[in-house]
Amino acid sequence: MNDVGGRSCGHPVLRLVGVTVTYPPATTVLDDVSFQVLPGELVAVVGPNGAGKSTLFKAISGLVAHDGIVELGGTHCHHQRDRLEAAYIPQRTDLDHDFPITVGQLVLAGRRRFLRLGQRPGQRHRLAADEALERVGLADLRRRPLSTLSGGQTQRALLARALAQEAHLILLDEALSGVDQPRTEDLLDLFTDLARSGTSLLVATHDLSLARRRFARCLAINGGLVGDGPPEVALDADRIEATFGSSIVGSRGSTG
Amino acid sequence: MIDWFTDPYQTEFMRNAAVMAILVGVLAPTVGVWVVLRRLAYLGDAMSHGTLAGVAAAYLTGISITLGALAAGVVMGLLVAVFDRQRRLGHDSAIGVAETLMFATGIILISRNDRIGVDLTHYLFGQIVTTSTNDIIVNSALTAVALAIVVVAFDDLRNVTFDPGHAQQVGIPVGPLRLVLIALISITVVVSLGTVGLLMSVAMLITPAATARLLTNRIETMTALAITVGVTSAIAGLTISYHLATPPGPTIALVTVAWFAGATIASLRSGQSGIGSRPPRPAEPAGCL
Repeated sequence: MNDVGGRSCGHPVLRLVGVTVTYPPATTVLDDVSFQVLPGELVAVVGPNGAGKSTLFKAISGLVAHDGIVELGGTHCHHQRDRLEAAYIPQRTDLDHDFPITVGQLVLAGRRRFLRLGQRPGQRHRLAADEALERVGLADLRRRPLSTLSGGQTQRALLARALAQEAHLILLDEALSGVDQPRTEDLLDLFTDLARSGTSLLVATHDLSLARRRFARCLAINGGLVGDGPPEVALDADRIEATFGSSIVGSRGSTG
Repeated sequence: MIDWFTDPYQTEFMRNAAVMAILVGVLAPTVGVWVVLRRLAYLGDAMSHGTLAGVAAAYLTGISITLGALAAGVVMGLLVAVFDRQRRLGHDSAIGVAETLMFATGIILISRNDRIGVDLTHYLFGQIVTTSTNDIIVNSALTAVALAIVVVAFDDLRNVTFDPGHAQQVGIPVGPLRLVLIALISITVVVSLGTVGLLMSVAMLITPAATARLLTNRIETMTALAITVGVTSAIAGLTISYHLATPPGPTIALVTVAWFAGATIASLRSGQSGIGSRPPRPAEPAGCL
């Protein structure tokens, strides 16, 4: 197994206690979720479509209202500014692939947290953005329009934006969907490298075989937290049935 | 040949008209870039129609037409925001209902007073040749304010438009920026009142920016191209309308469409339009503020 996931020492980067998300009028999409993530952890968040993976990430990022406690870096998040340590990377289908923005401009957006309204990013911020691009292997593509990048390259550019933001926790929503197998393995290697350097990553996926093969810790989600631990525990037969339903249990290696 | 271009501008009223045309030609496409990129063309169209209520109310009460139109823009924006809170409705439905309320109110206000009917026609279809020096001063100030806002907020507008979730995370004031964009559209409609008129202001707001979008993949270049299309359309339209004795507003609007047709052909020839190869649109519906 080519995983990370060995839990590092230190205070949790993220702690959730009883997080519940209810959409009006009264649809609970996430119920009483509690877990914590340590620095340098690489965690798969596994569940079928509609299980609440994206909602979980949005609750952590402050993009949807929630009950319960979200702590980032030991700080209880009352305001949006308390959540600057987390970077949420949405599904690519949620972004306009044709939008006229260059890779460099995209990554510089991560530096906005350090700027005042109307302030242009100076040399220090441009260097930080270049360094982030270097880390994800896109240094040569800084001037390229985002629309000309492949799926895997787009994910790398979005990761670079999160690194430029100096986020300690990166939430990747279906980052591997639509990426071919070799590029998927490359991206997972990159996630692993980032985790080794101390950044924590939560990667939402419905690919069970991938989660088992490349992640040391999995969170099984289906409207709530069904399982948490190594794949053999979090994704055992009972929890798979609770997460995906009975039809998937017979095909343990398949994609959900 | 040169005379054909210079003859119309021998008189002061045509020179004033040219200044107004340039103001609209710069402002409307600059704001229009963000309207097009956020797919808010329908909101721009609806706000131009909804402004009629403010113009009519200003006429009846004797207050400034500019103030009345700006107030109507603010009310229109608030109405859309309130109606938009209904999760079962699409954004376009919220905009449509707000437009109906404001436009119908404007028509009824007009019908209650025969005196204002003829003058209001100037605002519906534009009456650029009656531009006064005072009009130029007021509209120059409005244009300068709007352009300054766009320059200051340029990076934030780009980031909010591309990924509003991330923009919110890094501290960009997403909600206030929505209101700023509505205010910019409102100012643009006001400045367009006397040139292309309420009913055609959307032509200058949308068509130059849409034309530029077909030709470039950079927002900075898109803005420059849109302004070029806007200014040349405004001046060419004004000149043509002088020689052909056609109404200036619709003539200017048709020149912008001619630009768009040319850009469409150019982009199809160069394969830039991506027709047949374009990936799916994002899940967010068009017209989302």
